[in-house]
Amino acid sequence: MSSIDFGETAVEPGKKPHGTEYRTYTLVWMGLVILTGMTFSFAGMDLGGWTVLIALAIAGTKSGLVLNYFMHLRSERLLIFRVIIPLVMAVFLVFILLTFADLAFRGGVK
Amino acid sequence: MILRSFLEMDEAKTFVLEETREHTSAKLGMWLFILSELLLFGGMFILYSAYRYKNPVDFHHASRELDVLLGTFNTIILLTSSLSMAASISALQRGQRRLSMVLLVVTMALGLLFLVDKGFEWGTKIEHGIYPNSPTLLARAKGEILFYGLYYVMTGLHGLHVLVGICILCGMLIFIAKDKLNQTRFVPFENAGLYWHLVDIIWIFLYPLFYLIT
Repeated sequence: MSSIDFGETAVEPGKKPHGTEYRTYTLVWMGLVILTGMTFSFAGMDLGGWTVLIALAIAGTKSGLVLNYFMHLRSERLLIFRVIIPLVMAVFLVFILLTFADLAFRGGVK
Repeated sequence: MILRSFLEMDEAKTFVLEETREHTSAKLGMWLFILSELLLFGGMFILYSAYRYKNPVDFHHASRELDVLLGTFNTIILLTSSLSMAASISALQRGQRRLSMVLLVVTMALGLLFLVDKGFEWGTKIEHGIYPNSPTLLARAKGEILFYGLYYVMTGLHGLHVLVGICILCGMLIFIAKDKLNQTRFVPFENAGLYWHLVDIIWIFLYPLFYLIT
């Protein structure tokens, strides 16, 4: 029975799964607010094409924080959680690339 | 006597395993739903990017008219609600039932505040005659019409998610009050939390894309 692998995500009833959450959560929240401030101030600068990239990079970092800490992806040990999320992201990336390839190479048809 | 205690131990173990299996599958199901939601919004983000790529100037002009401060304020509100949500789940898992309920009410109140802000924002826009298919909007450049179309659909769908989230959390509050959710049974509550954080993540991307185009 004990050989069944539940991948350590298993939370035994009655036991709290994560250690010093409140402190971590508050720190993560502070990070998120600071990053929001950064997006806000970067948007005011004239950085040309970099503006969008910076905004998206900051948004990506913020969602990474929420996913890893608030949604506990970081402490997820089961393999499937580590597979499905990058897989869906990869599918999404393919959609993006195809759409923009289409837009960029449509050429003659205007 | 010894045999009996062994049997009892085994029973308890099986119970734990059943619980954890249920926990894992429930969480996996929730994650699959979350990923499908990401693709739903992802499709709209791609549409947005394509139109913005085609009409950069119009998007810039239209975005200028949105209230950046209100958008930023709403971002902070949602981030804070995510904090109280996560803390509320931890509190329940630690057996701090009252604290958990207070934090849950705070989360719901922040969600409601977000919707009220959104309502004011939409209200002002509609007052100025800018809403889908309005004569004022149709008289504008093509890119601006597209921008506002996307703005109403995407923030509208997101707002709907916030509303649904508040309803789900309301249900969770009732369950906690009735002790259906507690220190040993919290999987549905965790899943509700995952949904709430998802709504937050979507807004994290909506905010710079609609309010901060330079």
